[in-house]
Formats: sequence, C-alpha cells, structure tokens
Amino acid sequence: MTKPIIEVKNLAKSFGKNEVLKDITEQVDPGQVIVVIGPSGGGKSTFLRCLNLLETPTSGEVDFDGENLTTLDTKRVNELREEMGMVFQGFNLFPNMTVLENIKLAPMKVKGIDDAAATKRAHELLKQVNLDDHADAFPSSLSGGQAQRVAIARALAMDPKVMLFDEPTSALDPEMVGEVLNVMQELANQGMTMVVVTHEMGFAKSVADRVWFMADGYIQENNTPEAFFGNPQTERAQDFLSKILM
Amino acid sequence: MKKRLVLFFALVLALVTGFTAMTATTANAATDTSLSKVQKKGTLVMGTSPDYPPYEFQATVHGKTKIVGMDVAVGEKIAKDMGVKLVVKSMSFDSLLVALQTGKVDMVISGMNPTPARRKNVDFTHTYYQGGYSIVINKSDKGIYKNKDSFVNKTIGAQTGSTMYNESKKQTSGTTVKGMTSVSDLILALQSHKIQGVAMEKPSAQAYVANNKELAAIPSDFNLSASDTSASVAFKKGSTALVAAANKSVDQIKKQNLVNKTYLPAAGKYLKTNTVNTSMFHYWKAFLTGIEYTLIITVCSVFFGFIIGVILALARMGQGGAIKTGFRWLATAYVEFIRGTPMMVQVMFVYFGLGLIVNLPALTSGIIAISLNSGAYVAEYIRGGINSVDDGQTEAARSLGMSSGKTMRFVVLPQALKNIWPSLGNEFITLIKDSSIVSIIGVSELIFQSNIVRSDTYRGVAPIAVIMVLYFILTFTASRILNYFERRMQHD
Repeated sequence: MTKPIIEVKNLAKSFGKNEVLKDITEQVDPGQVIVVIGPSGGGKSTFLRCLNLLETPTSGEVDFDGENLTTLDTKRVNELREEMGMVFQGFNLFPNMTVLENIKLAPMKVKGIDDAAATKRAHELLKQVNLDDHADAFPSSLSGGQAQRVAIARALAMDPKVMLFDEPTSALDPEMVGEVLNVMQELANQGMTMVVVTHEMGFAKSVADRVWFMADGYIQENNTPEAFFGNPQTERAQDFLSKILM
Repeated sequence: MKKRLVLFFALVLALVTGFTAMTATTANAATDTSLSKVQKKGTLVMGTSPDYPPYEFQATVHGKTKIVGMDVAVGEKIAKDMGVKLVVKSMSFDSLLVALQTGKVDMVISGMNPTPARRKNVDFTHTYYQGGYSIVINKSDKGIYKNKDSFVNKTIGAQTGSTMYNESKKQTSGTTVKGMTSVSDLILALQSHKIQGVAMEKPSAQAYVANNKELAAIPSDFNLSASDTSASVAFKKGSTALVAAANKSVDQIKKQNLVNKTYLPAAGKYLKTNTVNTSMFHYWKAFLTGIEYTLIITVCSVFFGFIIGVILALARMGQGGAIKTGFRWLATAYVEFIRGTPMMVQVMFVYFGLGLIVNLPALTSGIIAISLNSGAYVAEYIRGGINSVDDGQTEAARSLGMSSGKTMRFVVLPQALKNIWPSLGNEFITLIKDSSIVSIIGVSELIFQSNIVRSDTYRGVAPIAVIMVLYFILTFTASRILNYFERRMQHD
C-alpha cells in the first residue's frame, strides 16, 4: 500500500457568496494520471489551483506528501510548489525572455543552480518536447502548440513530483492539440504523477488511470475510464456524456 | 507668478521664524557665542544677490566668474578684521533673510536698507553707505519723465522685496508698480517697453546708464528717511558679538570714506572689463557649468526618484496586515501630498526647512527635493506598470516555487518597466527642464547661469535664447537615447 502523494479532505472554496467547491475528499497516488472532466463552471480549474494553493481554500485541507499545505508558512508553501509543476491554459510564458531563459529562470533563482548546469538541463528538456531548435526564440514567435510545450518543459525544469495541467489544449488551434497531448502522454508513460483538467475525452480514455467527473462543486464520480465512459453511474454524468461528441 | 513667489517665501519665512523662535530663546539666554563660532570655523559666509551693480554683481576674472562689487569689498574688510576668510554665497534677494535666519549664511550684505520692519527679524550694523534713489528710463523718453510723479498711468518696476518697491507703491499715485526678482529682468522689461521706469539705488542706476547707451537716469524725488537710503550689514537676531565686531569695521569704512574712495572705483573697473566682450561665446564656460549641474541634478534625481518610486509603489500595493495597511496609507498620503504641492515650495522647504536640523548644501538639497518629488510621480507610473502585467505571469512564477519577492523582481518588474519606459522617459525629460527650479536656492544650473550672464553683459534676450537651444539639445539627445533602449526592449 503506497502512501498517497496528494490528499484532499473536505475541501471547500467560495468567492464571496458563490460556492465553487463544496465538499471534496479525494486522493492521488504516486504515478497515477488523474483526468478531471466535467461541464464548464463546475469548479475544475479552481480545484486544481487549490492543490498548489494558487487559490486559498475556504475550508478543508490539502495534504502534499504528508504535509497539510493550509497550515504551512509561506516559505514552506513556496518550497512545496517547486514539487508541483503547473501548466496553464494561456501558457503564461515570460514574454521578455527567450525560450531558454524561460526554462532556466526558476532553477537558477530558486534552486541556485549555476548557469551552465541550468542551460544543459534546459536543452535536455527542450529535446524532450522536440523544440531544441527554438531555444533562442522569443515566445511571441512561437505557435500555441510550441508555446505550451515550452511551458511544460519550464515546469519540468524544477523536477516536480506532480504535474498539474489546467486545460492545456483549450487555447490551441485544433491541429496543434496533438503535439501537446503526445508530450503529455510520453510524460505519463515515464511514470509522472499527473492531474489533468481537460475536455479531451480521447486523452482521458487512453491515458488516465482514474477519471474524476466534477460538477456543481462536487466530484460526482471517481472511476476508471472504461467504467466511466462505458457505464456512468450518476445521472449528471450520463447527461454530460450524452451531450458531447465522442 | 511673482506675487505667488513672494507668498511662498513669506510662508517659508513665517515657518522658519516660528521654528527658530523656539530654539533661539534658549540660545540667547546664555552669553552670545556668535563671534567665537565664526572664528572657530574660520569662515564668514556672506549672502548676497549679485545682480545689483555696483553693489554686487558677477564678473569674469581670469576666465572665472566671481562675485565682486563694493558690498563684497565691505564683506572682505569685515572678515579680515575678524581674522577669518570670506565666503560669498549668492541667492535671490527674497531668500537672503530666510537664509540668514536658517544659518545658511552668517551675514547679508546686499545693498540692504535697515528698515524698521527688517529690524524686527534681524540685527543691523551701522550704515556703511548712504545712497539715494534714481529712476532709470529709456533715453528716448528723457523729455517725458522728470521724477516719480511723472509716471501717472504708467508702470514703474522695482526689485521684489526691496525698499524701492515698497516706497514706489507708497509714494506714487496712479502709477502701477511692477515687482520682479532680478534687476536685469527689470532693465529688460524697460527696454522692451513693458515698464517705463525702474527705481533703484543711485550707484546702481549710474552703473547701468554707464554701461548701456539706451538708458538714462532721472532723480526719483522720493521722500525718504535715512534708514531707507542707507545700506547696512544684517546679522542673525541676537548675535550681538558679531554685530559689535562688524561695527568696528563699518565705522572705519565710514571714517576713511573707503566706499567712495576705493570700493566704488574698483567695482567700476570690473564693470568695464565685464562689458568689453558681451558675445555669448565669451561665456561658454558659464553655460558649460550650467549644463553640468543641470545634468548632475537630473541624473541623480532620476536615479533616486526611481528607487523611491519603486518602494512607494510596492508600499501602495501591499495587501493585508496592520503594518502593510499602515505603509499603504503612508505611501498614498505621501504621493497625494507631493503631487498636491508645488515643486518650488518643496525645494525651498528642503533647503531652508530641513536646514534647521542639518546644514545641507544647496546642490544636495536640490537633488533631495527633486528626487522626493519625482519619486511620487514615478511611483504612480510603476504602480500602473505593475498592474498592466498579466496575473498569469505572477501565477506561473509562483507555481514554479518563486517567492513573491523574486516574482516581483525577476518576472513582474522587468515587464512593468518595459511597459512604462515611455512614461519614465517623459519623466526624465521633464526633470531636465524642471531642475531649473533649484536656481532659486542658488545652484548654478542653466537658468541660474543664464541669469548671471544676463547681469554680466546687460543683454537680456541672448542668454535666454542660448539656454533655450541648450535645453532643447539636452532633451532631444535624451529622447533619442531613450528611444534606442525602447527599441531594444521590444520582443513582442
């Protein structure tokens, strides 16, 4: 029995009077790929952002590697964030830096790695996402798919234990979705623990270990992809699946 | 404008006298140490407004500008008799008494009349010179004006804060009296027919007439008491020992008639050498000094202003916690206050007001005041710049484990800086121009230097034209350089 790497207990989050997350208790084991799906406005992104405390939960706790993030001081939270890479819908690359500098910044400024070592590691990661020839380009010259792959490489440069993906392909032109999903699939194959919020059902089916169906502030179903897509238990999930093209 | 200026000075004077009154009472109770203090430091600092030939004016001596005149000779005599060195500090006539009260200068010799009103604030020596008033007019008007009473429905000019100004107001009827800070400006106004006459001391009038063929002097026929036409040396109130020592020298000067025999002829010689070559090129060194100080003030103020601006901006954006709220409130109050008061008042307040606590040189005071002022404006630019950076940038940096400080420093600020670069550039160029304000406390930047050249050469317009071109060259070069860096920062 392995210890879970992320444990969420009775998590709730409100923005003013708007209760986005109501009561969520789930766990992620090391090496697992979790795909969170569900209708828009169901709280998926908020949930993901609560995992690394980009949003502060209103109540409940988030444990990472046995430590309750909500009780830790800022310094320790910063340290634990290094171990949770995050990829955003809008890439959020630093526009004033080259691709290489984007990747090197955090390892050098946070971990204190020297320039030569950081450069070497950055090139390795760029090879992994097939973009080493764009090392000296500025983000503005990249396509969406390329930018997102750089963002993945940037997150990986901190050697995280977990990768969080917040709708990584939603802002992309359709023909670029594949290149990003391929990189993510490869990452999963290498054994990376991943929590992915996405609308890509194909990816969920083929890569996920578990599918979490989220709606109205609750995780409505937690199942294997085969069971979830083949035989959804709740009415809410049946309704959702019936509305999307498979 | 001039009226407001006088008001500022009056305000500063009132503030300063208020402060000094509190501290001075205790000092006066003990025996007066003013003389021993001066002898201990070995220098006697004389304040004067050098635009009043032959009393005091700027002359080029062996290629260097120097303040000369009969008042300087009087000051040298006093200093010599006390066994100390004379240091001459120049500033506008309006600020002389404030400077005296705040200890910026030890004495004031500037053709100053010991009027009862002034006696309330400072101590005077015996008079060293008894003059009278003349009115300078354009030679072409010589038949029209006879004395002060000929100016009905016309305008007479006089130096602001001077006795001539007050008497002209009191003793004429139907005549407008126009005040200006410097006599060279008044002469220029006369020659461009903005005013019809300038009231000034007889020796000054003679000097101007001797040096400018277009001018003539007529008797003023003011009804004057002795104190209105005599000149005395002013000391800080209560410095009886200094006054007594100076009186010995002044008595000697009167007894030996040194002013008329020696000082005035010597001053006249300077006036002659001064006007031999009045081409602007002859004064290139003066202008160069002006450029140098303008640049020093601007560059230092931009540098410190930027640092102050960053700190203020961050303080204004702090969220949560009693301390952060306190700082936010303070920073907001500071920005509002600085933006809501004129820079000229701030410059005077730093020089004269802070001067009560620490004796800052004029250049340092000017840089401090302008940095503090610029910081408030830069803070607003930076705040806008930081707000213009997408939240996603902060989130990305934080998700990589960067602290809020590192996120600000390495991710947000560089991008904010790029966004606000044009505004910062504008601020820099504005500062090149606004640095001219420190001329009022006697820093030799461009405006101040041009005023010197104007009173040296008796040419009103040419020096203004020269500095206009110089300012443009400075600002244009600066904007080209800033554009170059702006282009280099463009990546998207």
